[in-house]
This record gives sequence, C-alpha cells and structure tokens, in this order.
Amino acid sequence: MSKKRISLVLLTIIVMMSMILSACGGSKGSSSSGNQTDKNANNSTTGAPQEEVTLTAWIMPNSPKPDKDFMTAMKPYLDQNPNVKLNVTVLDWGSAWTKITTAATSGQGPDILQLGTTWVPAIAAMNGIEDLTDRVEELGGQANYLPASWKTTMIDGSSEVYGVPWFVDARALFYRKDALDKAGLDPATAFKDWDTFKQTLSKLNGIEIEDQKMTAFGVPGKNDWNVPHNIFPWIWAAGGSVFNEDNTKVTFNDQTALEGVMYYTGLANEGLVEKASLEKNSSQIESDFSDGKTAVMVSGAWMIKNFATPEEDGGVGGKTAAQNYGVAALPAGPAGPSTFIGGSHLTIFKGSKHKEAAWDIIKYLSSDEAQLTYSQLSGQLPGKRSVMESLASDPNYKALVEATNYGMSYPSIPQWGPCETALVKYFGNIWDIVAGVSGTYNEASIQKQLDDAANEVSAILNQ
Amino acid sequence: MEISRNPDTPEVRKPFGARFKKGFREYRVAYLFILPTFLFMMLVHVLPMIQGIVMSFLKLNQFTLSQYLKAPFIGLKNYSELLFNENNPVRQGLGYALRNTAIYSVVVTISVMIIGLLVAILLNRDFPGRGIARAAMLLPWVVPSYVVGVLWGFMWQKEGIINYILVDILHLMSDKPFWLIGQNTIWAIIIPTVWRSWPFIMIVFLAGLQTIPDDLYEAAKIDGAGRLRQFFTITLPMLKPIIAVQLLFQIINNVYSYNIVAMMFGNGSGYPGKWGDLLMTALTRQTFGYWSFGVGAAASFLLMGAMLIIVGIWYRIFRSELRVD
Repeated sequence: MSKKRISLVLLTIIVMMSMILSACGGSKGSSSSGNQTDKNANNSTTGAPQEEVTLTAWIMPNSPKPDKDFMTAMKPYLDQNPNVKLNVTVLDWGSAWTKITTAATSGQGPDILQLGTTWVPAIAAMNGIEDLTDRVEELGGQANYLPASWKTTMIDGSSEVYGVPWFVDARALFYRKDALDKAGLDPATAFKDWDTFKQTLSKLNGIEIEDQKMTAFGVPGKNDWNVPHNIFPWIWAAGGSVFNEDNTKVTFNDQTALEGVMYYTGLANEGLVEKASLEKNSSQIESDFSDGKTAVMVSGAWMIKNFATPEEDGGVGGKTAAQNYGVAALPAGPAGPSTFIGGSHLTIFKGSKHKEAAWDIIKYLSSDEAQLTYSQLSGQLPGKRSVMESLASDPNYKALVEATNYGMSYPSIPQWGPCETALVKYFGNIWDIVAGVSGTYNEASIQKQLDDAANEVSAILNQ
Repeated sequence: MEISRNPDTPEVRKPFGARFKKGFREYRVAYLFILPTFLFMMLVHVLPMIQGIVMSFLKLNQFTLSQYLKAPFIGLKNYSELLFNENNPVRQGLGYALRNTAIYSVVVTISVMIIGLLVAILLNRDFPGRGIARAAMLLPWVVPSYVVGVLWGFMWQKEGIINYILVDILHLMSDKPFWLIGQNTIWAIIIPTVWRSWPFIMIVFLAGLQTIPDDLYEAAKIDGAGRLRQFFTITLPMLKPIIAVQLLFQIINNVYSYNIVAMMFGNGSGYPGKWGDLLMTALTRQTFGYWSFGVGAAASFLLMGAMLIIVGIWYRIFRSELRVD
C-alpha cells in the first residue's frame, strides 16, 4: 500500500510541476543598451539635453525586428547626442493595453510611448499622457499631417493634442495586372465605383493565370483582427457614419450604413468571394493573393514592402504576383471614395521625469530623415504628409498615398475600445450569416445584427 | 493491497489546540522548511486573489482605474449587474460561453481519460520499440498550446488538410463543411485540445500501471479471470487514486482553457462565435475589451466559487482514495 501512496504523491508533484511550467509565461524585461558613451555633449542639436540622460521607449512590434529597427532609426540621433541613452521595450498588442493602463495608474512607465490611434483618447482621459498642444507647433502642427490621422491625436470636441502621428495605416485595393489584362480591363476605370467594381470582379472570377484558377476577391471573415476596419470603409463610402456629428447617437445601423454592409457582404454572397476565405484572417488572405489564388484584395503599405523583399528575407518577392500587382483606391460608393486610416502616435508618458528629452526624441522621429527610415523598416506609411508624398515616385505607393486623401478614422472618444469590442462580435455574426452557417442572408437579418450592435454600443456610450 | 481501513477502531481525537501544540513541537523543523513556500504562496497567490476580490466590490473602469484599489466602493453592485442586468456589456454572450465550456470540459475530459488509459494499457506490455513509441506519442504534448491553436487553425480551413482527408480521400462527406465558423467550431476546439492533452494523461496512467504488482494478475489468472474481468477488478480499482487526480486537473484545465481558442480565431482579437467562445476567452474579452474591470473581477470570483464547489464534490466522491496516512 505505501508504495502506491508514495507513487500517488510523486505523481501529484509531477502534475503540479508540469502545470506550473506550462503556466509560466515569459515576461520580457526591458533590455538595456550596453554601450557606454562619452561625456562630450557639445555637438547636440538645439533643445537636446546636455546632461546624461537615459530614456525608455515602449513600442509595439511594428516590424519583424521591432527593437533593432527602432534603434536603427534612432542611431543618427544617438550618435549625435552621446549623452542620451535609449532603452526600448517592445510590448505585444495582446498585453499592451494592460501594461499601459497599469503604467498610467502607477505613474511608473516609459518616457516615450507608442499608442494606437484609437487608444490615445482613452489614455489621455485617464490622464496618462502629456498634453502636447503647445509643443506640436514646432512640428508644423495639423498642416503637416493627414486630417483623418490628426483628428485621432485629440479627443473629439476638445482642442488639446496628445500625440504626434508616427506612422499611418491606410488600406487600398491590390490587384493582379495580368489578370486584368487577360480580362481586357483597364485598371484606370475598373475600380472607379461600386458598379464597375462589381463588373470587374465578375469578369475576373474564375480567370486562369499560369494554369491556376483565380477567385475574384479575397476577403477575411470573422476570425480576424481587422473585422471593423474591413467593413467600415464600405459603410463610409455608402454615406453612413459610426456616430452622429457630436457622438451622441449611434448611426452605423441606419439605411445608408446597411447599404454599405450589404454591398460588401453581397460580393461574397454572389460568389465573387470564395466562401472559404470567410474563415481566414488578413495574413492568410494576403498569402492567397501572393500565391495567385485571388485577383484582388484590400491591404496596406506592408504588402508593397513584402512584394519588394526577396523570399530569403521573409518577403514574397519571388512570386508571380510580385511582378504583376498594382494598387488602386477602394471604389467610390454612392457618397464617394473612402478608406480606413489607423496607425500609431508618439506620446509622452505623464510620469516621465525627462519630458524635454522625450520631446526632443519625438521631434527627431518626426523629422523627414527618421520618418523615411522608419517607414521603410516598418512597412507602414510615414505619418508626415510631405514624406508620405515623397514616396509617390513609386506608382504603387502613389495609389496608396492618393487613397489616404479619402481616409476616415473612427470617432476619437475615450470609450472607443469597448465599442470596437462590441462591433467585432456583431460583425462576426454578420460574417457567419454570409457564410451560410447561421440563419439566412437578407437585409432583415443583417439589419438585426447592426441593431443589436447599436444597442450595445449605445449602452457603452451612455455608461 | 490493503483493503481494510478498519472502521471498528475509531481514533480517539484530542482537541485541536492540544493536537496542534503537540504537532508543532514534534515537527518544528518541518514547519520551518514549509515557511518560505508558505510566504511565497501568500505573495504570489493569496494576495493577488484578495486584491481581485476587493476589485470586485469597486466601480473600476477606465475612468477610475487610476485610483485602483481606492476606486469608489459599490458593494455588491458588480455582482447584481452581472446576475440580473441583462444589458450589461460584460454579460453579453456569457451564456453561450458557459454552455460551450460545459460541453467542451465534459467531452475533452472524458475523451482524454479514455484514450489515455487505453493507450497506456497497450504500451504497458513489453514489445520491441516501446520506448520510441512512448516518446513519439508524447510529441503533441510538447507542442505549446498557442502553436496548437495556430496549426489547427490552418488545418481546419475549408480548403485545409482535414477537409481534404475527410472529403477528397475518405469520401465521408459530400460537401466540405466549415469548421472555423458556425456550429462546428465546438469540434474545432475540442479535437485539438484532446489531441494535445491525452499523451500526458497516458504517461501518468502508464506510471500508475507499473505500480500494480504482477502477482495480482497472476493470481487472477489462476482463478480463471479473463482480461476484461482483470481490468475491472484489478486495474481500474488500483488506478482509482490516479484517475481521481487526473480528473480534477483535467476539469480545472479545461474550464480555464484559453490559448487554443484565442489563437484559432484572430489571435485573440476576433470573436470565436456562439459555438467557439469559452468562459475564459469571453471573460477576458468582456472585461478587458469593455474596460469593466470591477464586473470582470466579480465574474472571475463567481467562477472561482463554482470551481470550488466542483472541487468539493470531487473531494467527497474520491475522499477515501486520497487519504495519505
């Protein structure tokens, strides 16, 4: 008997240990840059700190090697200001919110903080980041940035500015030129408005390139991290909006918005989008396009970078699609063209003890040189408009940059995060209906999901 | 095997105080050794838990988060919101999550226990290559659950390998079904979990099987017991303590399951749907997505209470198997 008991005890210990081990998530500590620097601070730019100072920056994984790439962009500044040391910590999007709010709560955090555009109002309302209104004039202020991007540095209805646009996430159509050629279509007119877009897709559907049959349009469904960003451009193009002018009433369930949702989801219902794509996420849709399975998709600047990067370096440069793709703005709806504008802003953490030095670094990251370097490393569009427009010598970037002119962003309100969580859920249900696994697809069933979403979002707004 | 637990001679129990005093004197060194563990447990386990309970009585959202534990005290409001206010955002969809978690936990627990036990019995015989077979079967368990979620997320796709095998090769179905959307999602999360969990159960059962003395089987054989009879009268009763422990850990693990579902549906940013959402993914999304930290803490605390009841029932059922004397 005792033998059995002992083995039981041992077993329990093993099981417990394994549970502890499996539950052990690695928490990444901030890596400190080891290089000791000299004390000669005589060649610094104006406004740069003269004394020894060590700053911490929290950024997101914006590129495959986020910390290295960030330091590459910062190198010229750090070389010129040897008294400034910079530690960079890369958060991940999943846990970033918790870490940032904890930091805002305790006052213990970084000096420079990257925030997603929709997070700025929330953290600002929490009093977690500095008011930069008096400083942004040094960078030229509003005039130097995209209106849709600049709007998100403030809280709707007030004039304080809390961030500087660092880079911009904008979406456009990516299409296969060879497929359009074969169908006898002209890219200049094929994507003009909703009607021509649908005709184009019907002609492209089933076309064969290199013995591979293509589906017209690749669209991710509900298992994605972009669900609302994929749908709202079509609502905006139909003339719909998220809320009314002063953000007091939900309007994304009105008749015009429904029209937008019906047009976009209708493409899938009419067979122009393969239903199988509706359980994929954005990166799977992007690989379908680069593998030649689809002729058109919606994506952003990072795909231009991927197509230019050889396969040895993790890109898709060798594929047929890389030599044969073009970029166009999303087709204009009844209310004109539109696209989604997101991205990230640079902010100064309220608890920072080196605000001047942090601002100097933000100023550097907003300079033409750093904006260009970092956008090339991260595959995002630069936040500064003049730098963005300088990319337009490349025809693909040109189309994308033009598309940003029609860009819209979400309402800049502190409660946007919860609103988006609710939208993800109900838009997910809509994709279920479109895929034919839950209820029948018609205006009434989609309207019901939008109404349910509107109820929940209204409850959040009125909290 | 010792069958008698001798109920005829009840222990004469001294009052607790006296027993404790005597015990303390006797095991002074043992208490000293336990002390660091005890303090550490207090620090990493008990204190955060108390903090969580305190949070469940506070109005804690994005506007009051900066006050943290000094946020306004609202008593049981979070609990009443959760239980009685149908419009509270945190509550939305929790019903589906509860149903799915129940189905998921029961199916996964029973499946892995049966598969684990059967394979353990198979591997308990001597045959050439037994070591390799054991090692190979442990492979799924070595794969991190995040990776399991991503991998199976690819395999379950409509044009993925699973449908290819089911439809194109085996012709079990006429059409390729969706697995990652709609009602089938529940299977899309159950099967990878079973796939990942059973090898560990099997190894533990194997360890248990090896502690059963061969004489028992020999004696049974002489008495004319067949294989089935041997299994039900020797193997199963002898494994009962191990079954008890495994059952508990499986239930706890499965009710608190998160990784596979999170990774399979949009890397934690998507909505797993009415048939894919589990309590943990729902609570995480509803709490951190809606920034209702107080209500979320209340929900977690209720879940912990429910779990304690389950553990209590488990303990009552298996009490006699777990006595270490």
